[in-house]
Amino acid sequence: MSDAAQARQPSAKPASSKPASSNRSAALRRPSVPLAVVGAAVLLAFPFYLDSFWLQTGLFAISAAIGAIGLNLLTGATGQLSMGHAFFLAVGAYGYVFLAADSDTKLTGLGLPTPVAFAGAVVMAGIAGGLFSPIAGRLRGTYLGIASLALIFIGQHVLFNAESVTGGFNGRNVPPLELPGIVFDDSPELVVFNVPLGALERLWFLGLVLLALAAWLARGVLRGRPGRALNTIRDHEVAASVMGVPVARYRAGVFVLSSMYAGTAGALLALIFRRTVPEYFGMFLSLDYLAMIVIGGLGTAAGAVIGAIFVSLLPQLLTRYSDGLPLVAAPGSGGVSPAEASRILYGAAVVAVVLFLPGGLLGLWTRLRMVVTARRAPRTLPRLEKEEQPA
Amino acid sequence: MSELIVDGLTVRFAGLTALDAVDFAVPEGSVHAVIGPNGAGKSTCFNVLSGVYRATEGSVRFAGAELTALSPHKIAALGVARTFQNIALSSRQSVENNLMLGRHRLTRAGFASAGLRLPRARREDARHRGRVREIARFVGVSEYLDAPVGMLPYGVQKRVELARALAMEPSLLLLDEPVAGMNGDERRRMAEVIVAARADLGLSILLVEHDMGMVMKLADRVTVLDFGRRIADGTPDEVQRDPAVIRAYLGAAHTVDAGELAVTGETAADAARQKAEERA
Amino acid sequence: MTTFIELVVNGLSVGSVYALIALGFVIIFKATEVVNFAHASLLLVGGYVTAILHDDIGFLPALGAGIATAAVVGALVEFLVLRRATVENHAVLAIVTIGVDIMLTTELTRRIGTEVLTLGDPWQNGIYTIGGVSIAHTRIAALVTAAVLISAFLLAFRYTSWGVAMRAAAEDSETAALMGIRLSRVSLGAWAVAGALAAVAALFLTVFPTPGLDRSTSFAAMKAFPAAILGGLDSTTGALAGGLIIGLTESLVTGYQGDLAFMGRGIGEVAPFLVMLAVLLIRPAGLFGTRELTRV
Repeated sequence: MSDAAQARQPSAKPASSKPASSNRSAALRRPSVPLAVVGAAVLLAFPFYLDSFWLQTGLFAISAAIGAIGLNLLTGATGQLSMGHAFFLAVGAYGYVFLAADSDTKLTGLGLPTPVAFAGAVVMAGIAGGLFSPIAGRLRGTYLGIASLALIFIGQHVLFNAESVTGGFNGRNVPPLELPGIVFDDSPELVVFNVPLGALERLWFLGLVLLALAAWLARGVLRGRPGRALNTIRDHEVAASVMGVPVARYRAGVFVLSSMYAGTAGALLALIFRRTVPEYFGMFLSLDYLAMIVIGGLGTAAGAVIGAIFVSLLPQLLTRYSDGLPLVAAPGSGGVSPAEASRILYGAAVVAVVLFLPGGLLGLWTRLRMVVTARRAPRTLPRLEKEEQPA
Repeated sequence: MSELIVDGLTVRFAGLTALDAVDFAVPEGSVHAVIGPNGAGKSTCFNVLSGVYRATEGSVRFAGAELTALSPHKIAALGVARTFQNIALSSRQSVENNLMLGRHRLTRAGFASAGLRLPRARREDARHRGRVREIARFVGVSEYLDAPVGMLPYGVQKRVELARALAMEPSLLLLDEPVAGMNGDERRRMAEVIVAARADLGLSILLVEHDMGMVMKLADRVTVLDFGRRIADGTPDEVQRDPAVIRAYLGAAHTVDAGELAVTGETAADAARQKAEERA
Repeated sequence: MTTFIELVVNGLSVGSVYALIALGFVIIFKATEVVNFAHASLLLVGGYVTAILHDDIGFLPALGAGIATAAVVGALVEFLVLRRATVENHAVLAIVTIGVDIMLTTELTRRIGTEVLTLGDPWQNGIYTIGGVSIAHTRIAALVTAAVLISAFLLAFRYTSWGVAMRAAAEDSETAALMGIRLSRVSLGAWAVAGALAAVAALFLTVFPTPGLDRSTSFAAMKAFPAAILGGLDSTTGALAGGLIIGLTESLVTGYQGDLAFMGRGIGEVAPFLVMLAVLLIRPAGLFGTRELTRV
């Protein structure tokens, strides 16, 4: 097909001008509907079958997935490294507690309705990200990574010192979320299909909804106009700016957005924990999040989710099954504890993924599917225009 | 639309003068070429015009604005588009997405409306995708729309760059060596597209190119730079006969005809010299 | 006044140690454009090896072993990991070093456990008193050692063929390679030198008045990050200035903590980062960093 012939085609049917191979890859990128339905059904059924240990682990993974999607917007899609993600999780967690809890003799709180407090916590995280935007907008990539270390140290300092708000070293209790018609707590009792649904079970459904919403929003952003701008800032900053992208404003904007994701994850985490403690929001948490997005796959929501599941489940799996594993000892026995083993393992996973698995676990999955589908589907030869070769 | 006027443009990097009081003007709808040996300051000139480098002195006026005072995205907003000598596309993104980036200045969807897939954002996206496909056809890259740019041959990538610049619907197009590294046939096709773009869209085009045949064929006027200074300015015919130009290219001892002026390949020494200039 | 002088001398001393770490960090960045977040763990490697060996083989051999080990580990990280990573995105390279850091730090802190290890240094808790001003021997030793090492490094950077190769690679790696410089050796060398400097710094971060090497040592080492970036990531001068600024800030703020009570306990730990942010707000490329001229 020559250019001229193509130009004569009615423009109303743009799909027809694409080669067959691209239709196939487009179909691959879209998960099939039955698969999605089955997946959703399984996820919704979890609370009816899993014990509270796994349910809590799963909830951590859900909260981590929300936070990781935010970090992937920033680091994966825009190339802006952040070590400060844990800080914004802390803002979300403590923000919720501060807004929702009532004041007492030692601790202050605003006692707002809890859904308002939840939304307020997310907004607070966004504002905190906005306050950092003079730095986040102007520093590029790894420079921002170092600068954002400051957030961890400032965050820890504030959490330990602003006792009337944060409870200091001891942390604070988290008031349960109360939506009209449902309280995310163990009482009042709620029994469905003869299964009592406690706080964790109820939060599980809330978590799934939040995660689905977070992933859906991120996909829209990434595939739309802002996503293209962000990706180009990562790939070629100068090209982005001469194409009309205000680079600093987008860097600052995506930083705020990623902070809001972290804030959501933090507020959800507070609800799961039912207590906020300052040392949880230290540097290791930030490193965990970076590990998640690299292992799962940079730049996409799905990659973030996969990585979050991997990094959250690994220590729990090792703890549960440490007896059967060589080299892993029970905690406190002097050997490598499950927590340590899992840290070393996912540190190694980060390195291995970058060296051997560009695209992360998501990339591996996509490639496997390509292979399988290519085998199953009748091969349609891609069509190619005749092109003269250089002499 | 309006005329581009470069007046006394000087750029110094830490003592080295890359551009020294350069003047030229590009009237609306014309094609103007800037030529010169490697290291003459052509790329620096482009980088100042598009806001990537800061001018030390002098002014660049276009569309009622002083470009030297503006950041790159504000210059883009005035309808100034450019391509790069070394391809500057997002290699993992599809051709279509790369071209859609060109529509950035013409579209509005932000984080919220794209994330929520508001009808406004979806309509905007569909409309501009349609136009981007037209442009892809025009430049001859429509069969690659879904392919990641990094997988495409060099000649096609060069055309995608041109298509991305055209997708900005510019009134002034800066082309930095659009046919460098291409074979004869690819060059001819690229020249055709440039001619057609000028004719159909009424663009002003500023062209940096080493292929003299191409410059002579396309340009209305030519400015010749050497070591950052303007050594000649005129119609292609005048410039070709200018002894200063011939000296700059081939040294004083030679007298040559236009055909010999064509600089086909860059020697390593030339490349190093150019690098040194851009570095300093 | 004596307090002030003490604090300044201590600040300069600690600052010179931070400068040592930051210098290594900057060397790696200049040679390979990698921001090495595993730097603190290299420091921990050096300190740990020194700590476990000094009882058996004596202080100086143990220190030598610590320096050598940190240099080798640094070189190995370059050789086994970074050389093999082919990504354009520098943020990803930085995350790889985070992966390395997680592995090394987890294993070392596991070995250290809850103990506080001494490095067997000869200065112990000796103190000079000059006109009412008391300065620990270790502070003077740190200052002198850092000054000697930094001068030696800067001279080598300027005059040896290694230094020339290194600077050429930092300027333009492609051209340097064309001129016959082996980039792989340059970056291997950079990592080894950075590891060695970090090991020396480990010694001075853990001697008197610090009780010794423990889990928190890697956090102390983190202050070299603000030092490096506020000076300018690509500037050796910047690393020195940044180190001293951070050291002085920390020392003075901790020393006058009583007067700064409204800012909360432990503000000395945070102050270096606040100073860094203040500098970056005014100069995003750091005090001595070059605003990178993008080549297009």
